[in-house]
Amino acid sequence: MKGTVATLSLSVTLIALMALGVAYADIPEQAPIPSTYSAPALYNLGNFYARMGRPALAVLNYERARVFAPSDPDVQANLRLVRESVGTPKPTRSWLSQHDRWSNPNVLYWVGLFGLVLAGSSLLLRRATSTHRSALGACAGIGAAAMTLVLADASATSSVLSESVAMYATPASASPISGAEPLFTVPLADVVSVEDKHAGFELIIDSQGHKGWVASRDLQPVITPSGAPREIHKVIRAPAT
Amino acid sequence: MNIRKLKWLSAAAALTLATASIAEASPPAVSQSIEPATIALGEASRLTIATSGSRTPDITPPMVAGLEFLAVGQSQRVESVNGVTTSTNSVTYDVIPREAGVYTIPGATAGAAPVVLTVNPGGGAKSPNSVGGMTVPQVASGNPAAAPAHMNADGTAFVRLRLAKHELYVGETIPVDIEVGMRDGLVASLNGLPTLNGDEFTLNKLSSEPQRTEEVIDGQPFTLLTWHSVLSAIKPGTLSLTVETPLTVRMQTRARPDAGLLGEAGLDDFFNDPMFQNFFGRTTEKDVTVASKPADFTVLALPTRDRPADFAGAVGHFSLTTDLSDRTAAVGDPVTLRMHVTGTGSFARVTAPLLQDAGHWKTYAPTSTFKEEDGIGYNGEKTFEEPVIATQAGVQTLPPVSFSWFDPSSRQYVQARTAPLSIDVTPAAIDGSVAHEIRPPASPSAPPQRNAVADATTTSGLRADHVINGRGTVSLTPYYYQPKYLGVPSALLLAFSGLWFWQRRRELAATEAATAKPSLDPQPLVQVMDDARAAGDPDLFFKSARAALQRNLASQWQLTPEAITLEEVNARIGPTSDVARLFALADETAYAGIRLSPIDYQQWTTFVRGHINARAIS
Repeated sequence: MKGTVATLSLSVTLIALMALGVAYADIPEQAPIPSTYSAPALYNLGNFYARMGRPALAVLNYERARVFAPSDPDVQANLRLVRESVGTPKPTRSWLSQHDRWSNPNVLYWVGLFGLVLAGSSLLLRRATSTHRSALGACAGIGAAAMTLVLADASATSSVLSESVAMYATPASASPISGAEPLFTVPLADVVSVEDKHAGFELIIDSQGHKGWVASRDLQPVITPSGAPREIHKVIRAPAT
Repeated sequence: MNIRKLKWLSAAAALTLATASIAEASPPAVSQSIEPATIALGEASRLTIATSGSRTPDITPPMVAGLEFLAVGQSQRVESVNGVTTSTNSVTYDVIPREAGVYTIPGATAGAAPVVLTVNPGGGAKSPNSVGGMTVPQVASGNPAAAPAHMNADGTAFVRLRLAKHELYVGETIPVDIEVGMRDGLVASLNGLPTLNGDEFTLNKLSSEPQRTEEVIDGQPFTLLTWHSVLSAIKPGTLSLTVETPLTVRMQTRARPDAGLLGEAGLDDFFNDPMFQNFFGRTTEKDVTVASKPADFTVLALPTRDRPADFAGAVGHFSLTTDLSDRTAAVGDPVTLRMHVTGTGSFARVTAPLLQDAGHWKTYAPTSTFKEEDGIGYNGEKTFEEPVIATQAGVQTLPPVSFSWFDPSSRQYVQARTAPLSIDVTPAAIDGSVAHEIRPPASPSAPPQRNAVADATTTSGLRADHVINGRGTVSLTPYYYQPKYLGVPSALLLAFSGLWFWQRRRELAATEAATAKPSLDPQPLVQVMDDARAAGDPDLFFKSARAALQRNLASQWQLTPEAITLEEVNARIGPTSDVARLFALADETAYAGIRLSPIDYQQWTTFVRGHINARAIS
């Protein structure tokens, strides 16, 4: 039995190392500015833009930092400060939605993977042997809990995938055409949820629950679909807001 | 009472009042004041000459060497008390000094006391034309560029342009005053701001609260609204410009009084007076657009010869200075380079000066703020703030900054270049890596930021930067939403599922084998008996013989083969039967081992076959 557990642990470690190797294989060795995404780098970038008087870019990078460190008090404090300084309304989020994410999703990914291996192996061993059934059952339960945790986090993070930050105080209209009568104005640095896209416009719901079409050029997604590694490099040289 | 009788009564009352006022005529009182009495050279003061009495004297503009007087308004008020008519007139002049000194402005009439105006070389009181605390540049009085009033058809309103000059360059901005005169009582409302007629010029945004004065033109009182702004041309050529304004005017529905005692001509003006018309409601309102007289311009193209490479379109008179937020910094700490462009001209076209050859410096896009001194964006200071970060320790020199513009006075390009700035750069506090370049720049010695907008979000209150440990990830998308990372758990899930099903299938097969109904056919066991006989294995021979009999008896007794034991046989057949003997020999052979002769094998084989066959026949 000890040999089986040791083999299982070794397998998990090897799988994790292989996955890490795949993940970091194409990271450039040297970059003039933070070339990879991490919570501290994005937080520092948000501070940089806040000091430069670019609240929209600051909020964008704070929100990106929150993806990797959702419970970091510094990120939340500076985000709140920048929003208040430009008069951006506070997002109306429920208590659950404010606390449903608490750790780095990439760390949770490995936790979930470990849980999957632990639960699967334990269930198989428990079926194959008649000894240590309780211990194996407990291991399977721990693994299942870890997987449930990650699935819950993934579910909570899914809303971030559709979030964007308003780079300007931009009008929102009832239809996705230029020159349409504006319904309301999305405040500068407001975090909006994108529901649909059409011909250079995006159907958004702003932080106050207002719904309308906004020009795509006035928004910047919190999570870029392409996930380009040089995104920070491009953003830091973006024109002034 | 009909209208005709009312006219006669009104006319009679007016004649009575006029007669009484002539009889009670008194000499006029004249006063004059100047505000402020102390100004700086380049500013203007305002002289007001007021007369009151039944007779209005003629007021002529003062003549003082070194001062220029510009009539900006006139107002008149008529009161009638107990049949005595009193008229109060006031004329307002802007007084513009040509040089510093103390001036005495004599009384406009014999009874008026002189006033004194002190003009300092600089830094005096604010001009009366100040708007929001800033001095508004007035288009010079008596300027030939000032167009005459261009009345609309019924003489109720006019629009007038006051321009500094009529020859300018593309992109050059010039101050312009747009004046809209509205005859008192005949203009109901102003329905919009003045707009340019033509696409060749641009006009800065006009204020919704123009300067308001009074002016008398041809004996008629007008309310004068003046907007101060700047104008610029966007293409060369001989161009014409008009400005128009939407108004609502009250149209007189002119009555045709019958000729009578006083005659038609004598009462015509009286009945068509605005006050009379308004009183009896004999007007209708109509929306009209009043346009100014066309102003002709010669717009010159900017010369291409000797144009600097960094010229971005700024035209005017500028100067460039630079300074740093701090003279000391650590490697990786941002320092703000402030570049100030001051002067007059097209600030909208003033772009950030270029930082040349910033070899050991990391630079970022600058932000800009504009502080206008005149309220119209013609005179002011545009400040660019550019964060720079030293990448090497030591006394570093920030390279010069250059900025180019076109000077319309000298008709040539000017390039300003600042001196290099030195800064003492200390080694980084932590490790000097690029990742730490964005630590908080705030230090107690740092001078306050000029940019108030930036201050709101860039100074106090921000929590400090974090130390970056380790490497980040190459994508913002969490791993569990990336296809390549989803492959690993998917493959694991498939593998575990496959193993589970394989294991399950194996278990099911074993269970089926264990729970399968045993066969009651004894023939295979007879074959085993024959094989054991041939091999001389009595143990296997008797075991297979017993098993064959068990199967045979099981079907007969309706029991399972395992239930056919020696005890069961003894009980049913008897202990002396051959079946009982065979069961006993099988046990004995298993424990004690016996040897059988070929005859014994033959006899027991025959017995078993016979027993089985007998059962089969029955």
